[in-house]
Amino acid sequence: MTESGQMRVEVRGLDKSFRLGAGLLEAVKDVSFTIAKGEFVALLGPSGSGKSTVLNMIATLLQPSAGEILIDGKRVVPQKASPQVGYVFQKDTLFPWRTVADNIGYGLELAGVPKAERAQRVATCIEQAGLLGFADAYPSSLSGGMRQRAALMRTLVVEPQILLMDEPFGALDTHTKIDMHEVLLKIWEREKQTVLFVTHDLSEALTLADRIILFSARPGRIKEMFAVNLPRPRDAVTLRETPSYTELFTHIWHSLGEEFIKGRKP
Amino acid sequence: MSGRQLGTVLWQALICAAVLALWQWGYDLHALFPKLVPDLLDPYFVSKPTEIWDQFLVLGCLKTGLGVWNGWGDGTFSRCMVKFDNNLWFATWVTLKNTFFGFLTGVSSGFVLGLVLGRSDRLSAIFQPFITAVNSIPRIALAPIIVLAFGIGDSSKIVTSWIVVVFLVFYNTFAGARSVDKSFINAARLLGASEWQITRSVVIPSTMAWVFASLTPAISFALIGVIVGEFIGAEHGIGRLIIESEARGEASGMMVAVIILMIVGVILSAAIWRLQIYLLRWQK
Repeated sequence: MTESGQMRVEVRGLDKSFRLGAGLLEAVKDVSFTIAKGEFVALLGPSGSGKSTVLNMIATLLQPSAGEILIDGKRVVPQKASPQVGYVFQKDTLFPWRTVADNIGYGLELAGVPKAERAQRVATCIEQAGLLGFADAYPSSLSGGMRQRAALMRTLVVEPQILLMDEPFGALDTHTKIDMHEVLLKIWEREKQTVLFVTHDLSEALTLADRIILFSARPGRIKEMFAVNLPRPRDAVTLRETPSYTELFTHIWHSLGEEFIKGRKP
Repeated sequence: MSGRQLGTVLWQALICAAVLALWQWGYDLHALFPKLVPDLLDPYFVSKPTEIWDQFLVLGCLKTGLGVWNGWGDGTFSRCMVKFDNNLWFATWVTLKNTFFGFLTGVSSGFVLGLVLGRSDRLSAIFQPFITAVNSIPRIALAPIIVLAFGIGDSSKIVTSWIVVVFLVFYNTFAGARSVDKSFINAARLLGASEWQITRSVVIPSTMAWVFASLTPAISFALIGVIVGEFIGAEHGIGRLIIESEARGEASGMMVAVIILMIVGVILSAAIWRLQIYLLRWQK
């Protein structure tokens, strides 16, 4: 929990159904939770459990069928993204026609930040992301991990206080993924943004989060919540060898496993 | 140059030499083998490389009709240029100028139209049947009407050229604007981009590849539009030169014009290609 205890993101009775042919597909059913300021929360569940749908509703990319979302006590308006909210996609959405530096500086450009200041902030981000020497490269010449780091920086450069991440490292290999966890943890330890991180990978959720919200198979609802009381700062590699990690892992694993099996049924 | 490339160039040179030789001397064999050598090789229709060269010198005011070189110093060249007002150089200039304006107006209006309709479901639903209907007209069929309406000056050529180019560019831009990756738009919106900023920084750049795909055909179309306009009624231009030569039964004059058009077409396409390489350098 955080020092201030001030609520940042509040979700109340959220429903979402999609039209599917003649019928309705219930993707999310009665989801409510509260995320405190500076808290790192993982939304964990099998695919089709509606966790990304919840995230996209918070991001205003989707409109809820029922229920409401409050950020700092203010109701979220569809299609009107708040500048405090940053979003990182599963597929890096770097613009292929912009160089790495111009991609990272995009948000600042939109906000009308003067060129000199922009260049300076972008340079800092490039260094943090370990992309020195690639500022003028186009995304097509970068590896998957480098692209995702650049995409992360494009979101972070505008200093959002709330970070929504939709399986951002889902497409990366294990090694690159752990690298990314270290990059993200380092930044988060310093900036303490409020983070909502969607994943289906339990070890990823345990490595990063303060709390795990476990989603059930479709229709997605909250099944259980787990506090992850592992000490910080965490080391993405050695953390996995600690007894408390393994204990939590086994504990959540069974609950998550049931949902994976349910999710596979037609 | 690798051996393979050298071989390719040698083959190309050989093919050129063979075609030119056949063109120059092929019909001489007609008397010997009337069955083997088609009448089409008759210099009356296709002229001969040497005749075309001579005609080029005459149409370009470099030589007089009697085969005497025009001099720079004594003013015979400039006198010829003034007297023969649709000389090769002026005709090329007029045709190029009109092609350029037809291309420019066609590309810019097609691009804007494609972008506006591509970004608006409502407008594209309203205008779609009209666009399909107008697009179904073979545009060249409108050329006589255009010449009638705009006269035999430059404007009728520019309008003919515009009307053949605009749809081509419109359709490509429209398709490009429709197929912009939704996740790019979402990413921009979540970073705080307004609709106009999305159009400028996401839609236009990702449509560029589509637009460029239409520019090489567009430049040929622009040239076709101008030439057809000149066929129907003009005082100057390469198309006019072709019509005049045809009236005099001079195949060599037509061939000079056709070869000039070919060279112009190649240069313009190469220019577009260079521009495309530069502007789409992010593509791998």
